Amino acid sequence: MEAVTFPTPEVVDFLSTKMVALRVAFDHPSLAKEFRIKWTPTLIVLDANREEHHRTTGFLAPTELIPSLLLGMAKVQFNTDQFEPALALLDTLLFAHGESAAAPEAIYLQGVSRYKTTKTAQPLKLAYEKLAADYPDSEWTQRATPYRLL
Amino acid sequence: MAAKIQWETDLDKALARASKENKTILMDFFNPG
Repeated sequence: MEAVTFPTPEVVDFLSTKMVALRVAFDHPSLAKEFRIKWTPTLIVLDANREEHHRTTGFLAPTELIPSLLLGMAKVQFNTDQFEPALALLDTLLFAHGESAAAPEAIYLQGVSRYKTTKTAQPLKLAYEKLAADYPDSEWTQRATPYRLL
Repeated sequence: MAAKIQWETDLDKALARASKENKTILMDFFNPG
């Protein structure tokens, strides 16, 4: 990550403007235990109340890191019932990084967030249909399978 | 555009910044080697 991903200008710009970047050694005496760190790199998205919302372990290329972080930021909003900001972040992810590994989970979360805001089931079914069409082998398609019946 | 990432190294300072700037935190557990 230090040699390839973090020096990339798009990543520098994203982290400098959209997030607070914090670097901690994997063997930090208290934080490594608190966050159950077993391997590096482990990347965790936290909110300002110290709550964890998203985690990845292993190398991410620049083209995967930014959508992964957008997904994490969307989860922060989603998990605190801020569905409109979550949808804005998911829309950005899917518009700019629709080919990334984070896209299927983003489509799933988009469907649920729209369900939460509209109180109608149609967004869940649409999410399943998009997942089935574009990502038939994704675990997120499997998780959305019940929505095909709506 | 910033030339490089300005990493915080203290969680409490990062939390304070996140609250003040209304941002989320990326915490990178890394191997300093």
